[in-house]
Order: sequence, then structure tokens, then C-alpha cells
Amino acid sequence: MFAWLSANLVNLALILAVVLLVALVIGSMRRDRKAGKSPCGGNCAKCGACSCSQGCAHGGR
Amino acid sequence: MDKQIRIALAGNPNSGKTTLFNKLTGANQFVGNWPGVTVEKKEGKLIVDKEVVLTDLPGIYSLSPYTLEEVVARNYLIEEKPDAILNIVDATNLERNLYLTTQLVELGIPVVIALNMMDLVGKAGDTINVKELRRQLGCPIVEISALKGDGVRDAAKAAIEAAKTGKTLPQHRFSGPVEHALAHIEEVTVHNLPEEQQRWYAIKVFERDEKVLEKLQLSAETKAHIEQDIAAAEKEMDDDAESIITNERYVYIGQLLKGIYKKKGKGQLSASDKIDKIVTNRFLALPIFAAVMFLVYALSMGTSIADGGIALGTFLTDWANDVLGEAWLTEGSRAILEGWGAAPWLVGLISDGIFAGVGAVLGFVPQMLVLFLMLCLLEDCGYMARIAFIMDRIFRRFGLSGKSFIPMLVGTGCGIPGVMASRTIENERDRRMTIMTTTFIPCGAKMPIIGLIAGALFGGSTWVATSAYFIGIAAIVISGIMLKKTKMFAGDPAPFVMELPAYHVPAWGNVLRGTWERGWSFIKRAGTVIVLSSIIIWFLSGFGTVNGRFGMVDELYGDETVVTDEYVAVVAERMGIPEDEVEPMDDSILAHVAQPVSVIFKPLGFGDWKPAVATVTGLVAKEDVVGTFGVLYNFDARAEQAVDEETGELLFDEDGEPVMEELEENGDQIWANVAADFNDFSGGHGKLAAYSFMIFNLLCAPCFAAIGAIKREMNSRKWTWFAIAYQCGFAYVIALIVWQLGRLFVGGMNVVGLIAALILLALLCWQLFKPYREAQKLAVQV
Repeated sequence: MFAWLSANLVNLALILAVVLLVALVIGSMRRDRKAGKSPCGGNCAKCGACSCSQGCAHGGR
Repeated sequence: MDKQIRIALAGNPNSGKTTLFNKLTGANQFVGNWPGVTVEKKEGKLIVDKEVVLTDLPGIYSLSPYTLEEVVARNYLIEEKPDAILNIVDATNLERNLYLTTQLVELGIPVVIALNMMDLVGKAGDTINVKELRRQLGCPIVEISALKGDGVRDAAKAAIEAAKTGKTLPQHRFSGPVEHALAHIEEVTVHNLPEEQQRWYAIKVFERDEKVLEKLQLSAETKAHIEQDIAAAEKEMDDDAESIITNERYVYIGQLLKGIYKKKGKGQLSASDKIDKIVTNRFLALPIFAAVMFLVYALSMGTSIADGGIALGTFLTDWANDVLGEAWLTEGSRAILEGWGAAPWLVGLISDGIFAGVGAVLGFVPQMLVLFLMLCLLEDCGYMARIAFIMDRIFRRFGLSGKSFIPMLVGTGCGIPGVMASRTIENERDRRMTIMTTTFIPCGAKMPIIGLIAGALFGGSTWVATSAYFIGIAAIVISGIMLKKTKMFAGDPAPFVMELPAYHVPAWGNVLRGTWERGWSFIKRAGTVIVLSSIIIWFLSGFGTVNGRFGMVDELYGDETVVTDEYVAVVAERMGIPEDEVEPMDDSILAHVAQPVSVIFKPLGFGDWKPAVATVTGLVAKEDVVGTFGVLYNFDARAEQAVDEETGELLFDEDGEPVMEELEENGDQIWANVAADFNDFSGGHGKLAAYSFMIFNLLCAPCFAAIGAIKREMNSRKWTWFAIAYQCGFAYVIALIVWQLGRLFVGGMNVVGLIAALILLALLCWQLFKPYREAQKLAVQV
């Protein structure tokens, strides 16, 4: 078991890093969604050009 | 603890409210140099005093209930009753701006006037007797320059002071018959309202303001009573109530300004007027606009400065693709991971999946930043507002409203706020039509697609990028004309009144902020949605079933017991390619799913599974088109049949054998592979196929996020589906016409395809040029 772990340590660490990255990305996208930020990546709540700046946060008009 | 002080920032559109708001609160709201940038109110705390909340209201000309902005602003002022109003007045347009001021002082809320753009007044040699104006209006006035930040803190201090101690009493009195009617109205209808608001309500009742009458819920008897007073005043003044009030306000302002506002060289043209005489000239406006946009695209996405062009953006993007994307991210990470002894599939996932996909998208950031910088400069100096004016002249000719152009301007950054900006259009049919067509304009996320096609297939040709912008505008105009001739959208265009701001030297703060906000949203998407998509695309394109065995297709293809000659023949037949062109990815899950779907795109010239996948992933995010190519084409150099650079035709030697060449082993590998593949599946017409691919991806349905915005704005499932179907259908028709007719010139004409293209072109022309007819009879009985 220990031998297998030590042989695959790099792979396990990389898998963990990728899983962590995916979790962070999904978490960030969910947080943005809940905060009413546009999925376009631009922050609608701050964007004066976006007339939905208030509406977006509350799910529409 | 002291009570929180609430100050409302009110003023005409484009008078500098958001600039002042940003200066006072330290916020970074988007500042656009065209009217109507702020539609909703926004709040921020004053930098110098966190107990003071400043509310930025939308720009309005009056407190009438005719536009969404006016309703938002006046509801806030009446319902929320802020402690003070900071009325920002454009000193260069004093007469028109004071029209709103005369109404604000009637609300019973202390008003402080921030006289903005005083530096421009001084520069023009004009003078304003501020002391006398202050005396006549009965409220404090502070001279400011919001752009330079001069006097802004004094204005805030004055507003705080007014909120604590001030009281503003309207100095203006209407003529006898009107005041007589107002007195009656106050006594009969609004005496139970707060005293300071009674006069404003009485004036609105006199104007027969429906929203106010609805709110007051007057009995029929009371209504009839006050109607007698209003009618009597109307008879005496020989005008309708609303016009009487408007006229008297302007007469009052006119008298007020006599002796206060001295204009130097009255009747002479200002510098802005002189520029406008050329820039908005009936004949010169469009060629100038075309030349300006050509220059913008030449600087950002044209031929690199390294190749004798002027495009700084392309030069930097080439570097980003070669060094950052390929050498550092993809190859660098591969070398490190292999050095660590990581499993091949993990190396593939991280280097060929995540880094190749994200790197491909990030490589275009320099081009985008240069493009956005140029567009922000044009916006901030005031030129883009002129474009809306020029476009209105053209749009109107075709029955469209120039109001539709503002969402288009906003949409160059991102389609979502573009769609949302359509809210300013009151006419429901025009609004729906604008929502359906706004995303035709290339948004930031579509720029990499344009950059990819222009760079990989056309050697950085400027006209490809410029044409993409004008194809977007043409698609909007053509769609508008065609849709207006259908029953669903028929009707006169909504009137479009827009004030052209004076030209000024761009404020670098605004320009850099606008550029960064747009660029950052792009970078952020590369770090989120593109990462996830790249992982999924890598998995689906890297794994599959080869001759009955599931696993990594690269590894399975290395096993000669699995991949036999007979099996290769089967794959070649399924994919419709020669046996020597079969590659492991052809057996991936993605190829199996996408190959049948790609048939749909055959008539458009890119009926291969890879562009088909890129088109579909473009619905997740438009940047994903390039990200997908980054993953799918991220393989080593290989020998390809050489293509004539001039004609795009495949080359053969004297014996009729294909001339093979090794693709260059450098950072442009991915894009060289893309170009080679487009040449392969299009029979040597890679440029035309790529142009058709670009057109389809620019015009088809936008990303899911923008579709969500369309759904919210349409507020109807049926209309949302109609919009998506229209966009995809229109994109398909245009791409088909381009590909099929294009082959008439480059060779390889297909008779069936040509006939289909000609029929579709004829139908388009028929819909475009048939006479416009209003409905002759009512569809609904009344």
C-alpha cells in the first residue's frame, strides 16, 4: 500500500489539484450566480451600462 | 450614532452624474459618453463620510412618467424622500437642464445645484452669474468639473449641509389662472399629504398625470370638481394643461437667464459643431465611420507590426500564443509534468486539455484589450454618440428606431447588457426586435473567433475583422427591414431624441476602466467556464472505443493488435476520409457523436466534426469556440498537403502526386493545424469555409448566458424560442449563401447548393424590397 502510494504520489497530488480547481471554479460560478453577477463574467451589479444591474440580482425585471 | 444621510444625484442624461458619483463614492460604475447609460438607480457611500449614502438616479429631462428612467427617478424621490437632492446641471446647456431643476425644487426636498462643466463654459468665453442664479432659484449652487474633480467635494459638503438644515422653496409662480386652479386642487385633493409635497402633487394633478391620479384614488365627484378648474384654466390659456405648465416653465427659465448667462459669440459654431459638420455630414458620415472602424480593427486585429502592418494587438497576441500559450503553458507544463513522472493521461489532461484550451483563449487577450481601448476612446471622446445619430438616420429610413443602436453599442462589450439595454425602448415590438438582433454585433467573446480566422486563414488581414463588425451591423439592418414587414413587428419606429455631447479629450481613467472591465470579464471566463469546457472536451476527444476496447484513443492506436488495417478502413469509411488520414481522435466519443451532427454544416462548407463541436460549445461561451480548437488541434506537427498561398488550392507535383509539407513547429501550431484542416475538408477552399464558419458563429444564437438574458427580457418562452430560431436560421442562410456563391468564384461549384443559395438570396431580396404595408383592417374587434 505504502509502496503504491509513494509510486503514485505525483499523480495523486495532480488529481487532487485538478479536482480542487474544478471545485473552486464551480463554487465561484455558483457564488456569482447567487450574488446576481452575470455569467458573462462581467459584474452586472457594477455595470452601469447594464440596465439589469438591479434586476439581475433579483432574477429579472 | 448619527442618522444616515441620503442624497439623491439627479440631472439630465449625460450631464455627468455617474462621473460625479464615481468621484464622490470611489465606485467604478461604467461611464458612457452617451445618454441613457444609467437606467436603474445605484447607491454608494461617500468617501469623506461613510454615513452619507449617495444614490445615482437615471438621467431624466423631467419628472413626467413617460420613460422608465423618469418613473424610476421620480418614484425614488417621492416615495423614498431622500434628505437632499444634488442636482447636477450641465452649465453648457443651462436652459434645458434648468427645466428639471424647476420641478425638483417643487418636491419639498432641499436642493443643491452642482453646476458641472464650468471649465468648458469658461473655455468658450461664456459667463454665468452664479450668485444671481443662486438668489433667483433659492438654493445653493456649487461650480464643479466632475471630469477633473474640481469642486466635487464642496458640492457634497453643500448637499450634506442642506440635508441637515436646508429647505428649498420654489421661487417660480405660474400665471394667475394656473395658480388659481392649483390652489383649488391643493385644497380639495392633496391637503392630507405632507405639506412640502402638496404643490408638486397639485401640479401633477393639474397636468392630469395618470400615475399620480391613480395613486391619489380620487372619488369621481372630486375628479369632476377639479376637472372644472383645470378646464377653466385651459380655456383661458387656450392650451392643454400639460403644455401650459411646460411653456410657463420655459418662459420662466428664459427670463431667469437674461442677464445671468452671457454667451460669447452668440450664433457662432462651437468646435464640436464644426467637427460635427464633417463627421455627421449626410454623405461623409458613413465613409468616415467605415474608415474609423477599419483603423480600429487594423490597429487591434490586422497585420502585425512585425509583418509590416500596424496591428499592435496582433503582435502581442502572436507573442501570447507562441510564448505564453504554447511554449510556457502547454509545452512548459508538459515538460515539467513528464519530468515529475506523471501518468500520460494526466499530462494530457493538464497540458493538452486545460492549458491548451485556456491558453488558446488567453492568447487573444492583447488583441481584445487594444480593440476595447480603441472603442472606449471613441466612446469617451463623444464619437460613438454621433454614430448612434448617424445610424438613426439610416435606421429610420428602413422603419427602425435609432434607439436600437444604443443596445448595439453596449453589446460590443458583452451581449447580456446589450440585450438588457433594450429596456429603454418603450415600443414593445421595437424592443423585441432589438433583443433579437442586438447579439449580431460581435461581442468581446466573439473577438477570438474573428482573430483566429483572420490570423490563421487570412494572414492577419484587416478587412476580415472589419467586415465581421460591418456584417453584424448589416445583419441588424437587414433583419430589421425584413421583420418590420411582418405583422408581428409592423408599425412606426419609436421617436429617438438624443443629445450629442460636446467632444472632449478622453479621460484616461474612464477609458482604462472601461477597457479593463471588458477585458477582465473575458479573462475571468477563461478561468472558469473555459477551464470546465476544456476538461470535458479533452475527455470526450481523448477517450473512446477502438475496435471494441474503451480507453485513451492515443494509447489504443499504438497497439497494432487493436488497430488493424481492416479497422482503419472501417473508420476511414465512417469519417469519409482517406485511410492515411485516420487519426486516433476519429474514434473518440466526441467524433462519434459529432460526426453525424456535422452533416448539418456541410452546405455551409464546414461539415467536419471538429468545427461542428466548436460551434456547439460556442453556445456555452463564445470564447469556447477557440478553446475547443485549442484542445482538438493541439497535436504535434505533421505532414500536410501543401496549399497555394495565393489561391488556397491544394498543390500537386508533375506526376499528379500531392506535394506534402511539414507544418512549422512553433507556437502557431494549433492555428496552422486549424488552417490545414479547413483546407482539407473544404477541398482546398479553407479561406472561404473559414469565413462561412466565422459568419455562422457570429450571427447564430448567442451563449447560454445571453439566451437567459433574452428570456428574461422577452418574458415569454415562445418569443425566446422564436429569437433563437431566427438567429440560427438567419446565420445558416447567410453562411450558406456565402459558401455556395463563393465557390462560383474560387471553384468547386455545387449545382444543388448554388440553386438553394440563389433561391434563399431571392427570398431575402423579396422580403427586403417588397413595399411596406400597414395592416388594412383590424385583426381584433373593438
